[in-house]
Amino acid sequence: MTRTLRVFRWSADTPERVEDYRVSSGPDTTVLDALVDIQRTQDPTLAFRYACRVGMCGSCAMVVNGRERWACRTRLASLGDGPVSVRPLYHFPLLRDLVVDMAPFVEKLRAVGAALTPRPDAARYDQGSSAAPERQEIDQAIECIGCGMCLSACTIVAHNARFPGPAALNRAFTLELDSRDGGQQARWRVLLSDDALARCHGQGNCTAVCPMGLAPMRSIIRLRQRAPLRLLRR
Amino acid sequence: MSRVLKREWTTAEGWRDTKAGMWAWLIQRAAAVVLLVVVAVHLVNPFRRGVQAALLLLVLVHALLGVRAVLLDFGLPVRWHRALFVLALVLSAGIFALVWAWRWY
Repeated sequence: MTRTLRVFRWSADTPERVEDYRVSSGPDTTVLDALVDIQRTQDPTLAFRYACRVGMCGSCAMVVNGRERWACRTRLASLGDGPVSVRPLYHFPLLRDLVVDMAPFVEKLRAVGAALTPRPDAARYDQGSSAAPERQEIDQAIECIGCGMCLSACTIVAHNARFPGPAALNRAFTLELDSRDGGQQARWRVLLSDDALARCHGQGNCTAVCPMGLAPMRSIIRLRQRAPLRLLRR
Repeated sequence: MSRVLKREWTTAEGWRDTKAGMWAWLIQRAAAVVLLVVVAVHLVNPFRRGVQAALLLLVLVHALLGVRAVLLDFGLPVRWHRALFVLALVLSAGIFALVWAWRWY
C-alpha cells in the first residue's frame, strides 16, 4: 500500500514549506520507518532525530496528524487512510525540518531545581522501602524520558515562556515527596511564583500525550494541594 | 534566526486532535464570555423565553464544568476527567430539559 506523508520542512536558509512524499507501507510500517525510507531513497536532506527505534528514548517525538507521538511506535496503518501530516514539536526552537532544540526543556527543569539535593543528614544509601507510600506515589511519576511531548502539547507553555511546563513540575512533585531531598525551600519559591503552579489551567493535554502514561496534570494538582501549607509557612 | 512553531488556531491543523480536557476548558471559558452578553440582554427584557433558555443553559454548562475542575483539584482521579466532562455536559442538558419542561409561570 502506498501512503503520502506531508512533512514540514524548514531550515535557516530556506523558507517554511510542506512537502509530500509517497512511501510504500505494510501493516507494521511506522512513521519513523517511512521517514528513514524517504531520507534514504528520495530526499537525503530531510532532517529528523531518532536513536533507539524501540520506544525507549523519546528522541523521535514529533507531531503526527496533529498529536504528539513517538514516530518509532506509531504505525501508519493506525492513522487512517488519508495523508499523514508530520511536523516538529511545538514550542521548541527549530533547528532544521523535524529537529528541534531541546535546550528550553532542560532549562525549565533547571529552573525548578529538578536535581536531587541531598539533605545534610540524609543517609549515604537510601534505606527506604520500595513499598513505602512515599515511594509508591513517586513511582507513578518517575518514568519521564524527557521526550518533550508534554511541553509541545501544553497551551500555557505557548503563551508564557516562564511557565516551567508539565515535565518540570512533574519532576518537582517527585522531589517534593522524596524525604532525602533538601532543596524544597528553594524549589517552592519557584513553584509559588506567578508563573508556575498558578498558571496551569488543567487542560490535561500533557497527560493525554505522555507516551509513558504519566499524568503530569495529577502531579501539578498534588503540588497545588500542598501549596497552601507552604504559603502559610513562608 | 530562531523559529518556534505554535499551534495555529486559525487552521484546521491547529484544531486537529484537540483533546477532551482542552474542550472542557474552552467550553467553560466561552460560556463565561457569552454569559456576559446574555445577562446584559436578559436585564433589558427578562421575559424573552429564548434569552431565559440561553441563560439557564450557559449557567449550567459553566457551573458544572467548574464543579468538574474543583472535583479534580480536590483529588478525584485524573483518569476520570473525560468521564467528568461528559457527565457535566449530560447533566447540563438533563437539568435544562427538566427545568424547561417544568413551567412555573
